[in-house]
Amino acid sequence: MSFQEGERGWTVMAGEEGAGQEKGFKLLGILDVQRTPCARDAILHGAGGSVAAGMLFFLSTSRVRRSFDVGFAGFMLTTLGSWFYCRMNNAKLRVQQRVIQEGIRNKVVYEGTSLDPTNRPRADAPSGPS
Amino acid sequence: MAHPSQLGFQDAASPVMEELLHFHDHTLMIVFLISTLVLYIIVAMVTTKLTDKLILDSQVIEIIWTLLPAMILILIALPSLRILYLMDEINDPHLTIKAMGHQWYWSYEYTDYEDLGFDSYMIPTQDLAPGQFRLLETDHRMVVPLNSPTRILISADDVLHSWAVPSLGIKMDAVPGRLNQTAFITSRPGVFFGQCSEICGANHSFMPIVVEAVPLEHFENWSSMMLQDT
Repeated sequence: MSFQEGERGWTVMAGEEGAGQEKGFKLLGILDVQRTPCARDAILHGAGGSVAAGMLFFLSTSRVRRSFDVGFAGFMLTTLGSWFYCRMNNAKLRVQQRVIQEGIRNKVVYEGTSLDPTNRPRADAPSGPS
Repeated sequence: MAHPSQLGFQDAASPVMEELLHFHDHTLMIVFLISTLVLYIIVAMVTTKLTDKLILDSQVIEIIWTLLPAMILILIALPSLRILYLMDEINDPHLTIKAMGHQWYWSYEYTDYEDLGFDSYMIPTQDLAPGQFRLLETDHRMVVPLNSPTRILISADDVLHSWAVPSLGIKMDAVPGRLNQTAFITSRPGVFFGQCSEICGANHSFMPIVVEAVPLEHFENWSSMMLQDT
């Protein structure tokens, strides 16, 4: 999709859609792992945690069925933990991004005026009648 | 705009829609995990050799499957309520636009400074220029300045309509005799499409909405040009 300038301003033109757009891979048909931020990492961490927990339990108890249960529980907990940790960090980054954007916008508006937050009073300026 | 066979949301063009996208991702991950859990339990139940015909109750599992769903619901409800109240915040709009639904077109009025009003009809398929979108383009777009909080007052002239623009995260019913208010900020320039979202007669599918977000200078030029034309 591309923007082109026309008579009435910018027009969206149908261009080569799909060039560079990958088809998302959906787990269980619902979770688009490639396009959802943090999803891929969370699932991979979950898979790793599941294998690790299941193997450890099996090596210590030799119970196959229970090892699968423990592995699955490990998958759930690791996925959830990784997901929330990544999302929390993303949310903090987004807040910082908004503060910076607001700051850039305000800088343009207030630069050189008395409201400019970077305005520092000069040390040699007289503060009272001499 | 939406692309063919699209299932997910369109890219966000307003901060509220960005929040909604994040909330959707969060909830979808929870749904995915619950689905995986149910699938695993089904497979485990079907393949087990263990049977106990005398079991009557089990306090532990009853507690687990009461507390766990409650915690999941709280995990979903808290961000949901946060966004709900975020959408209702009064944000001191710089511009007020009135959108009136008619059978079968929208009309927009910009009456803050001058009396500017125009109708917005769908461009018929046979009149489309190459590259324009079928059933989505209109002859006059609702132009708004970029990054400016804009209030939109929505009503209807005849029957129920609904003013919806998915990429802005807005849908508001247009009810005859009632004024509904919503507000938005467009965080990136572009053209955003929507369609009437309340059945309103034969041409309900043929009264689209097009919002064009432009820098303030372009918005001022556009409004001067529109005033001269009218």
